[in-house]
Amino acid sequence: MNVMMTLLQKEWLEGWRSGKLIWLPIAMMIVGLTQPLTIYYMPEIIAHGGNLPDGMKISFTMPSGSEVMVSTLSQFNTLGMALIIFSVMGSVANERNQGVTALIMSRPVTAAQYILNKWITQSMIGIASFAAGYGLAYYYVRILFEHASFSRFAASLGLYSLWMMFIVTAGLAGSTMFRSLGAAAAAGIGLTAAVSFAVSLFPDGAKWLPAELCKQAEHILLHGERADFFGWSLTFSILCIMLLAVFSVWRFRRYESY
Amino acid sequence: MLSIESLCKSYRHHQAVRNVSFQVMENECVALLGPNGAGKTTTLQMLSGLLSPTSGTVKLYGEKKADRSMIGYLPQYPAFYSWMTANEFLTFAGRLSGLSKKKCQEKIGEMLEFVGLQDAANKRIGGYSGGMKQRLGLAQALLHKPKLLILDEPVSALDPSGRIEVLDMMRELKKHMAVLFSTHVLHDAEQVCDQVVIMKSGEISWKGALQQLKEQHQTNVFTLTVKEKLKGWLEEKPYISDVVYMNPSQAVFELSDTGSGRILLSDCIQMGLTVTRFEQKTESLEDVYLKVVHA
Repeated sequence: MNVMMTLLQKEWLEGWRSGKLIWLPIAMMIVGLTQPLTIYYMPEIIAHGGNLPDGMKISFTMPSGSEVMVSTLSQFNTLGMALIIFSVMGSVANERNQGVTALIMSRPVTAAQYILNKWITQSMIGIASFAAGYGLAYYYVRILFEHASFSRFAASLGLYSLWMMFIVTAGLAGSTMFRSLGAAAAAGIGLTAAVSFAVSLFPDGAKWLPAELCKQAEHILLHGERADFFGWSLTFSILCIMLLAVFSVWRFRRYESY
Repeated sequence: MLSIESLCKSYRHHQAVRNVSFQVMENECVALLGPNGAGKTTTLQMLSGLLSPTSGTVKLYGEKKADRSMIGYLPQYPAFYSWMTANEFLTFAGRLSGLSKKKCQEKIGEMLEFVGLQDAANKRIGGYSGGMKQRLGLAQALLHKPKLLILDEPVSALDPSGRIEVLDMMRELKKHMAVLFSTHVLHDAEQVCDQVVIMKSGEISWKGALQQLKEQHQTNVFTLTVKEKLKGWLEEKPYISDVVYMNPSQAVFELSDTGSGRILLSDCIQMGLTVTRFEQKTESLEDVYLKVVHA
C-alpha cells in the first residue's frame, strides 16, 4: 500500500509540474464548447461564408438539445480521443527511454503496482477532463437551446466516462508496447478506431465491444431509456478494459530491459 | 552472502554472459573488470534483478528470490525525473524501498551530506551537472542501507577530483556493506577493491585477490646497473639467463629464482663493482590485465 501511495503521489506531482492537469481539461473544455456554439451560430456562419447566390435563403431548423449533445459526444470521440491518447502515450515509454524505470524497478516494486498506478491516475485525469468539457457543453446547451434533461446528461456522462477509460487503457497498452512515442500513439488510436469501426460495421455482432458504450450513451440522450443489451455491453466493456490493463502488466513484466 | 552460479544470458543472436560464477563476501569490495562489451553491465543487471538470467542462479543470503530492499543499485547512466528536486526524488525512492516518512527524512539529510549535495537539495534535477547526478545516483542507492551495493561504472563519467571523492566514499562504504562495482579503469579498482573478477566476451577469464593476480604474473626479470663494465662477466654466471645489454654497464636478465639475487649482489661486491641500480621489473596492473584479457 505504501508503494502504491508513493507512486500515486509522484504521478499527481508530475501531472501538476508537467502542466497536464491544466492543459488537458482546458483542451477538453474547448472541444466541448465548440460544438454547441458552432451549431447555434450556424446560420451566421453560413451567411458570412459569402458564397451564396443573391436571393437564396436557407431554412435552418434548430436541433433539439439532445441532438446537440449527441454531436458533442462524437466530437469527444475524435478530437477528445486523440487528446487523451497524446496525454497517455508517454507515461510508460518516456520513463523507459529516460532510464528512470530501471531505478524504480530495482526497488521492491512489482510490475502490477507500476502499471496499475499509471492506469488509475491517467484514467482519473482523462475522465475528469472529459467531464469538465462535457459539463461545459451541457451548460451551453441549456443556455442556447431548449432544456435538456439532467438525468440523461448524467447517464451519458457515466457511460462515456467508461469509454474514455477504455481509450486511456488503450493508450497505456500502446505505451507499454512501444518505446517510440509515435508508435505508442498510433497503437492506441488504431485500437480505439478499430473498435469503433467494428461496432458500426457489425451492429449486432459487436455488442460486447466497449465502443457500444457510445451507442448506449447516444440512445439514452435521444430516447431517455436504455437500449437493448444494456447490462450485457456494460459488463463486457468493463471486462475488455480490465483485460487490456492486464495485458499491459503482462507486457511490462516481459521486458528484456527497462 | 551473494553467490552466483553458472549465470548465462543469451539474446537472439549472441550470448552476452556465459557461465559466470563468483561469490561476494560480507563487507567485501569486488571489482568487475573488463573491456567494453564484456558483459559487465548485463551481469550487474541480472544481479540487481532488472534482468532475468537465461540460466544459472543468483542467491542473496541463500535466497533465490532476493529481497530488493537489501540491494542498492546505481546504473551506468542514472536518470531521474528532471522536474523533481533531489529532496523529492530521494523521498520517492526511499518510500518505494519501504522507509517510513520520518526515517526517510532523516536518511535523506544524512545521504545528501555524505555525497556533498546538501546545497543543491532543493534545486530541480534538470539543472544538475553529470557529476551531481552521479552523486545523487549514489545517494539513492544508499538510502535504504542495503547489504549489497551494486555500482555500474560509478567513476567513469567523473572528473579526476570527483573520481577521488567517490572512491573515498566507496572505501568508507566498504565498512558497512558489500560493494560490487564494474569499471574499466584499473587504477580505480586497485585503490579500493579486495577481489577482482575479470571478464572477457561474456566469460570470466580470471578471478581472485588483486595481490594474487599481480604475484601470479610476476616474473624474475631484473635490471642491474653498475658504474663499471658488466659485459663479459655477467653472462658467465650459472644462475643468469637471457641477458640483454642496454649498454655495457646496464643489463636486463632473468634470474633462476629470487634467492639468486643475493648471490649476484655478493658477487658484484667481490668483483668490486659499484651497484647503482638493482630492481625487479614489476609489471603494472595494466600489463597484467592486458595479459589476462588477451590471453
